[in-house]
Amino acid sequence: MLGYTLKRLLQMVLVLWAVSVIVFLMMSFTGDPVFMVIPIDSTAAEIEQARRLLGLDQSIFNQYWYFIGNLLQGDFGRSYVFRQPALDLILERLPATMEMVLVAITMATVIAIPLGVYAGANPNRASSRSIMAGSLIGISLPGFWVGMMLIFIFSVRYQLLPSSGRGDTIEVLGVRLSILTADGWAHILLPSITLALATLAIILRITRAGMMEVTRQDYMKFARAKGASRRHILFAHGLKNALIPVVTIFGLQLGDLIAFATITETIFAWPGTGKLLIDSIYRGDRPVIVVYLMLTAFIFVVINFLVDIVYTLIDPRITVR
Amino acid sequence: MLNLRKKSGRAALFAAALMLVSAGWETSADAKSLTIGLTSDAVNLDPQAGEELSSNILFYHIYDPLVRRNADLSFGPGLAESWELTDDTTWVFKLRQGVKFHNGEEFKASDVVFTLDRLKKSLMANLGANISEFRAVDDYTVEIKTPRPYAVLPNDLAAVLILSEKYAKEVGDEQLDLKPIGTGPYKLTEWVKEDHLKLTANADYFAGAPVIDDVTFRPITNGATRTAALLTGEVDVIQDLNVRDVDRVKADDRYNVLSQPSLLNIVLSLDMREKSPTIALDKNPLTDQRVREAMVRAIDINAIKTVIMNGLSTPSEQYVPSSHTGYVEGMSFRDLYPYDVKKAAELMEAAGYKDGFTLTLDTTNNRYVNDAQIAQALASMFAKVKIDLKLNLMPKSNFFGYIRVPSDKSSMIMSGWDVPSGDAGSMYSVMFYSRGKKEGYGQVNRGSYSNPEVDALIDKADATSKLDERDGYLQDVTKILMKDIPMIPVHYEQDLYAAKKSVKLTPRADKFLWAYEIDVAE
Repeated sequence: MLGYTLKRLLQMVLVLWAVSVIVFLMMSFTGDPVFMVIPIDSTAAEIEQARRLLGLDQSIFNQYWYFIGNLLQGDFGRSYVFRQPALDLILERLPATMEMVLVAITMATVIAIPLGVYAGANPNRASSRSIMAGSLIGISLPGFWVGMMLIFIFSVRYQLLPSSGRGDTIEVLGVRLSILTADGWAHILLPSITLALATLAIILRITRAGMMEVTRQDYMKFARAKGASRRHILFAHGLKNALIPVVTIFGLQLGDLIAFATITETIFAWPGTGKLLIDSIYRGDRPVIVVYLMLTAFIFVVINFLVDIVYTLIDPRITVR
Repeated sequence: MLNLRKKSGRAALFAAALMLVSAGWETSADAKSLTIGLTSDAVNLDPQAGEELSSNILFYHIYDPLVRRNADLSFGPGLAESWELTDDTTWVFKLRQGVKFHNGEEFKASDVVFTLDRLKKSLMANLGANISEFRAVDDYTVEIKTPRPYAVLPNDLAAVLILSEKYAKEVGDEQLDLKPIGTGPYKLTEWVKEDHLKLTANADYFAGAPVIDDVTFRPITNGATRTAALLTGEVDVIQDLNVRDVDRVKADDRYNVLSQPSLLNIVLSLDMREKSPTIALDKNPLTDQRVREAMVRAIDINAIKTVIMNGLSTPSEQYVPSSHTGYVEGMSFRDLYPYDVKKAAELMEAAGYKDGFTLTLDTTNNRYVNDAQIAQALASMFAKVKIDLKLNLMPKSNFFGYIRVPSDKSSMIMSGWDVPSGDAGSMYSVMFYSRGKKEGYGQVNRGSYSNPEVDALIDKADATSKLDERDGYLQDVTKILMKDIPMIPVHYEQDLYAAKKSVKLTPRADKFLWAYEIDVAE
């Protein structure tokens, strides 16, 4: 286990290094950030001055070298536009995104797994078919459309829930949380539902497929023959075995939602990291983009590691090595 | 599922209660509040940290300039009570006495000197390009020298916001970005990035305490969401109402739609060099005045207005709006060269381009209102006079680097240009002055236009300290340019706002939403 963890750590460092190189190289091909922050009629001397102020007068290799050097000292660079440390900018917005994503994925899982088990155990019932049809809609509807529709129906038409923003927050250990206030909940519901929909549908379909697979297995029939209740068999024996692919997908989806909740955040004016990424790309704010993508890679690696651990808990035959 | 419903029901009740409470606040007589939905958040609150409109709107609530630009673009006293020219290049500004920064510190001449000094070393250095020396004569007098006679120095200073020397030095750049202190009508009370920024009235404001006590700015990037936030009562005013939502909001008698022609002139710069990079001919046809005239005549500006802009644009008459120096009364591109495809084709034939030619238009697809559609429309309009217009569309982050002078990859560029200083000279000198002839001139002359007569007139305009003389020279430049057509102006976009009926708001020409000028009905 220790060896395995060390191996994963090494992998993580390699992945992060690769991401930093790729992003740095890619950034050097996209537009010149100087022109995004200075007035358009600046003279050549003023452009040079700005370039110096932003450290862009150096070659891309030097820039990368400084970046890595500073990184090893815990300095992730400073945004050209905000002039704040890039990591701070991201961490400041991360709680909002995490909160929305966690509410969404909890919603999705809590709804999807029971429905998936039901649909998998009774594939021929009309109710199962309508669940599956519903899940197809969930996968195919684009998030921005769903978001707009929810706003139209729940905010504009019936004035039940607010359309945008985060609402009242309470500060806990320096982190603003909205899930601790009623107003916060009113604000988080619509974006979370929007975000949850596709994930819900995917988890539901995978659960169902897994269940259909395991219900045909002999041990299920055997357990039934021993006289265990159907409900017990489905959840204790069936679900446990059907869960491995679900955990994989859950991990991937979680990473995905954290990294790319952008559209939902934009529609609901949710002050999270996704919007920061888009704005930064728009403004050519390289330090923020680099750190953001590295953080995203980090999150994926960690989630994958946790997923592997969870495998061993579900199925003792799987060991981590 | 059931559990979830219950929660949402409770949340809804709470939200409804909250709306009632906030509605109650608005109607109470003693504290007026206003919530404004902006298209984006400020990136930081240091006015010298870079160019960003949303930040700009917020700056003017917190800081004051020496010279104030009024809603109609005229200029009046700000932190400076008066100013005068003592010789051709020396300006003396008399400062207002007894003005206090938000932290209680008194505003003095040393703050102005500090601000100008810092400006010269910042990303916004271009604002101080025409200032060579400055010093505090006494606590309430500042002397500013320009390198040459420069009649529009006060215009430039309207964009320079005065910082507190003591505070800025004390807290450093990073804190200044987050917790700014100025002399302005509002103080910053809370800023949760990307969520809301709260201001409270500065009761000691030198021009009188603001009518509205609490102002909240909320960044809502998505246009449809912004409209929704207005319709649900979450905000009282929104900036940049979506064009497609105009009818929807107009139909609701609880709201007003307000519009104001913007200062942003969408223009087509033409390459005037002998050989042009995207035209496969030995001689660049764009150097022929007849071809350029044909191009103007081939553009059906009214079709662009009605079909693409939904009626929400103002075809440009000249390169600058009528409020600016250098504008010539009663002269218009649309009258000089009205839409006439037949005449355009004749001009093309006379110039020897009966079979037309091919060239590429470089422009953005995410910067100006419907930029990509306008480009496509131009292509089909030019096709009628056998000009085959290829489109090279790109996001703005690439565009401004691509077209920068002197990269010279373009034959034709569509971009937007506004002249917030209210002075055509600031545009003419960088855009139409011969390139490379004089430092600080012609640096964005993207078409390499060169006319000694124009250069001489701009020199004269920049050599006088008398505003009316300057205006005269610049008007002469305008007349020459409109004959030469190195650039085709297309239209001004329309700034759109929507507000609750109770909000008394008159849009400013410069797109700044200034809560100090807004009132809400009791």
